[in-house]
Parts: sequence; structure tokens; C-alpha cells
Amino acid sequence: MFGYTFQWKQALARLPQMLDGALVTMQIAILSMVIGIVLAVLLTVFRRSGSRILGAIATTWVEVARNTPALFQIYMAHFGLASFGIHLSPYVSLLVGITFNNAGYLAENFRGALKAIPETQTRAGRSLGMSPLQAFRYIVMPQMLRIAFLPMTNQMVWAVLMTSLGVTVGMNTDLFGVTQALNALTFRTFELFAIAAVIFYLIVKVIQTAARLIAWRLFRY
Amino acid sequence: MFDTALTTADLLFLARGAGITIIVTLISVALGTALGIAFGVIRYQVGPWWAAPLTFVLDVFRSVPLLIQLVLANAFMGVVLKLKLSGFTIACGVLTMYTAAYCAEIVRGGIEAVPMTTRRAARSLGLTWRQDMTNIVMPLATRVALPSWIGLALGVMKDSALVYIVQVTELLKSTQILITRLQEPLFLLMICGAFYFLISFPLARLGGYLERRWSND
Amino acid sequence: MKTSIFGAALVAATAIAGAAQADKLDDIIASGTLRCAVVLDFPPMGMRDDQNNPIGFDVDYCNDLAAALGVTAEIVETPFPERIPALMAGRVDVGVASTSDTLERAKTVGMSVPYYAFENAVVAREGVEMTNWEGMKGKTVGATAGTYEAIWLEGKVKEWGEGEFRPYQTQADVFLALSQGQLDATVSTVEVANANVKSGNFPGIRVVDKAPMVPDYVALFTLREEYGLINYLNLFVNQQVRTGRYAELYTKWVGEGEPADLTVNGVYR
Repeated sequence: MFGYTFQWKQALARLPQMLDGALVTMQIAILSMVIGIVLAVLLTVFRRSGSRILGAIATTWVEVARNTPALFQIYMAHFGLASFGIHLSPYVSLLVGITFNNAGYLAENFRGALKAIPETQTRAGRSLGMSPLQAFRYIVMPQMLRIAFLPMTNQMVWAVLMTSLGVTVGMNTDLFGVTQALNALTFRTFELFAIAAVIFYLIVKVIQTAARLIAWRLFRY
Repeated sequence: MFDTALTTADLLFLARGAGITIIVTLISVALGTALGIAFGVIRYQVGPWWAAPLTFVLDVFRSVPLLIQLVLANAFMGVVLKLKLSGFTIACGVLTMYTAAYCAEIVRGGIEAVPMTTRRAARSLGLTWRQDMTNIVMPLATRVALPSWIGLALGVMKDSALVYIVQVTELLKSTQILITRLQEPLFLLMICGAFYFLISFPLARLGGYLERRWSND
Repeated sequence: MKTSIFGAALVAATAIAGAAQADKLDDIIASGTLRCAVVLDFPPMGMRDDQNNPIGFDVDYCNDLAAALGVTAEIVETPFPERIPALMAGRVDVGVASTSDTLERAKTVGMSVPYYAFENAVVAREGVEMTNWEGMKGKTVGATAGTYEAIWLEGKVKEWGEGEFRPYQTQADVFLALSQGQLDATVSTVEVANANVKSGNFPGIRVVDKAPMVPDYVALFTLREEYGLINYLNLFVNQQVRTGRYAELYTKWVGEGEPADLTVNGVYR
């Protein structure tokens, strides 16, 4: 039917290597998400702090992260920073690039979520004797994370997909990098990348299912 | 920093890359939106059970890295089907489906945001399904969906940086070619980043403004 | 009426049969264009001039091939990892892209006889202690993804069990990373190493040693089943050497001296 003979056996023989790559991909995605959430909370605090400088830093971060391609951000983390003498390994460059992106998008999500939390709650907390930081930590943040949970899940999926951009900075241990290295050896492009696509799809499904379970566990009333 | 070997010819070369980025984006967003609206309406109309195959296909486009979609589409069209498509066609095709997959979600969300009671009222006044869709649902759903759609369109523009993999020389690839020759990575990357930012930022702001304005009343 | 339908069907059938019989060689001659995959960040084999037009050994080689076929050449830039996908996708007819003729690859594409042979050199950054190729042990090294030397170097790093290997997408990224200090050393073809050191684009790099590899024979490639075209390519490579054009291109792009011997003693091919 096709003028091309598929060689699935040869490609499937490489599956263990690709699964190892998938683990690295997961690792980077999870790390970038955890650090990204912490940074995003910080950026949100910065933006609410009223300080001009902190606010400007946070706004610049968010706008650059949201308005330039992720590929550009990762490339910059590797080759751009090196112009300042900062040398990051491919793994760290990729992690830094994705984390930068995650933090920017998440901070924007958090800002949207904050709008849904009435100012009166903070005031109530303050009048109970809480410091501004305490009021944020115990009253606002838990609700913010809950409202922003769905966007956070989406961002996690994005983080997994973004790991595929690591090849541009010399990454060869993640799923895409491993697949590309195998492709250079055998030139079986279609078979290898089809398998990679299936693995990516499954990873995303696992994340979405896990997120649904977590949401059910944490947020049911 | 401004002591550079960049010539006018190089700037034109970059501008050509930027042009390709914009053209690819415009084509993909236009076609993708049309398809996305169709898919979104179909999904809403036939119910989750019958729409399952469509939902699955669209979900795949949102769950597989764009880079892999491009590589696979390229290999499948050329190697398996032996179609002689240009890299530009492949890039636009994949980005169109990618846009459609996200757009369908936005459209569905928009339609669902229109209160059922409003639509029933319209139908009981004698409006046909088509009239209900065009005169009631579309204006209301557009308000909900437009800000997200602007975000999507900008996302597609940024993601179009990946089409270099099917031999389309867009902005980021042009930048890399110049870096190869001129060895001024930071300066050239700054120019490239600034270009994306200058297009994306005002439109993103417009999206935020519309969202704020329309959510208040 | 009936005869005309029959006639039309006959014409259509011949057209289909004709299309099925015409091979790639015919297609190229009929279309009037030869589309070559060339890697353009691989000086002196492929690069760009001040106007960003493609130039280099491979570019000239493609032009010669097109001239021999009586068609015009079209250079399609492909990064190393994208050479074969571009061929498979029908975006190019022939690869003139310094492609090593490994047995693993020959399972997928058809290779001509070698048209060039590289020796590889170890290039290191100033300040990195290294006197010979074995000095790379334990260092952070890199090469261009999907090349012969990258496959060799990755194997060596695995064998040593220490140090790190990083494949970059393009030769330019490798040298950029080397001069920025992201890499301690790289292995590249002697031609590329010398061209890059000489260009002065990458300050602080030096050639350390030759890499102890079997010479890297590179071949023209096309689809595996296109015997007619592969035959033509073999004869073309032979003619390039016979007429002295091979030596001429060597002098033009690589420099003085003898170009590499393309035959292997003691065996036919």
C-alpha cells in the first residue's frame, strides 16, 4: 500500500533507551514545575509588594517569558548567558529555560486567580493580627493555588512538551535527544519518532489523570 | 555592543526571516481558526460520545511536542506517501492542525459559556438553529473566547520558531545562520527576541484589555 | 465516442505506466532542476558568503553534477540531523552533504562510491591541558549531532566512563560552545578545524592532534532503490577525479596539497 517498508522491529529494539530518556524528560518537567511555582509565587508577591523595583523585575520577567518563543529562551540560557561567562550544561540550560518560561506563565495565572479572592478576606486576616505576609501565606495563597490548579496542570503538560527543545543546546539524554541520536545512527526517522510521540502522549495522559486525582483529593468540599 | 559586523544585507536577510514567520503564522492561524470553529461546533453539537474520535485526534495534537509533529508529518508525507510537498506546506499544515486543536477547545468553552436559558428563549421566539447560532451564540461566545484566541494566535507565532526543522528559514533560523557567520550570538539573539516581543507584547496587552473590559459588564 | 473514451483511457494508462517507469534520473532531467541537500555551516565544504549565498566544496560539487546532467542546481540547506529526512520527504534529489557511508545508514539510503575522505582533528580551547587526543578523557567534549565523528566520540566517552559528551545541532554551535568555554574540546574534520581556527571567528581555539579514526569516507546519497541514479553518481565521482576537477576543487576550497585518495587497497567496490 505504501512505497515504504516500515521496520518497526529495529526501532522497537531501542525502546528501553527511549524509556530512559522519558524518565529524564519527566525529571526535568517536574523540577522545572516545582521551581517554577516557587518563583511564580515570589513574582506574584513582588508585583503586590508595591515596590517599584521589585514590581518592574517581576513585570519584565513575566512579559519576556510570555512574549518570546520558548526555544529562544532556552537558546539564550545556553549561548546567551555564556557571553557573560556563565556556563550552563545542556541539562541546566534546558531546566533554566523551561523554569523561566513556567514562572512567567504561572505568575500571570496567579494574578488572574487573585482577582477572584476578595480583598476583604485579607483585611479580615489582618484585623485578626496577621502580618501581610501571613495573610498572604495562610489566606490568599491556598485559594490562589486552588483556582489556578487547572492552568497549572496545563503548564505542566507544556513543560513536558518543551523538553523536546533541549536538542538545540546539546541535550542528548531526554526523550527527544535520545530519539534524535538513534535517528542519526539508523535514519529510521518515521518509526523512531512515532514511538517517541506515543510515549509523549502517554506521559501527558498520566499527568492529566494524576492532576485530576490530586484535585479530587485536595479540593473536594 | 553596537560595534558590529552586521550589514544592511544581513538586516534584510533577518527581515526576510521575520516575513516568513509572519506569513506562516497568518496562514496557520486563519485556516486553523476556521477548522477549529468547525470542530468546536461539531463537538458541542453531536455530544461527547459521537465526538470521541475527533476529541481524541485533537487531543493528540495537544499532547505531542510540535517538533515531533513536524518531523513525523514531514517523514509521513514524503517517505510513506511520497508526496512532494514543500517544507513550507508541511509547516503550515501542521501548525494549522495545531491551531485548530486548541481553537476547538476555546470555541467549545465559548459556546458553553452562553446560558442555555438564553438560547432556549431565542428558539422559543422562533429563531432557527442557524439564526440562534449566528445572532445569539456567536456574539456572546466571541466575548468569552476572543482574549484566549489572541493568546493562541500569539502562541502559534512563537511556536512557529520550530518550523526550521522542515527547512523553512524563519526568523530564529535566520538569526542562527547569521550567528554562524558573524559570531555575535548575544547581539543577534537580542534583535531576534526584540522582534518577537514587539509583535507579541502589544497584542497580548490588547487581549488582556478586552478580557478586563468584557468581564466587567 | 466509444473510441475516444478508449483512446483517452489508453493515453491515461500509458501516462501512468510511463510515470511508473520513469526513475529519479529521468525525473531530474525532465524537471530541469537538481535539488541537492548541502550542509551550510560546515566550512569549507558548505558555508555562506557575505551576501548569505551558499558557497563551498559541496556547493560546487552539486553545481558540477547539475551541469553534467544539463540541469540547474538548487541548494537546499539541511542541518546534519535533517539530511536524510529531507531526502525521504522528497525535498531533495541527492545529498552532497559530507555524509559518511556507514553500513547502518546504507540500510536506509543508497550511497555512491566515496567522493571525499576526511581525517579528523581534535580541537581544544586555550587553557585546557591537552597534548594529544587521549587528553580528552574526562573532559567535556562535543561534536555535531549525527556525524561520523560524533558517533565515534560518544563511543569513546562511554568507553572511558568519565567526562561528558554533548551533541549540538550544527557545527557552528559546536565551535561557538567551544570558544565560549562550554566545551573543553571537540573532534571535527581537519578541513573544518583548520578553516575555523584560521577564520579568527573563534578566538582561543587550537588544533591539538589528529583523531585516531579510520578516514571518514563520505558519499553522495539518494533513495536506496534508485539504482540508475546511483550508477550515474558513481560514474560522476570517477569522472571528477579522472578529469582533475576533484584536485581543482580541493585546491580552491581546502588549500595546497594532495586531496585524499578515494580508493582502499586490497578490496573492490
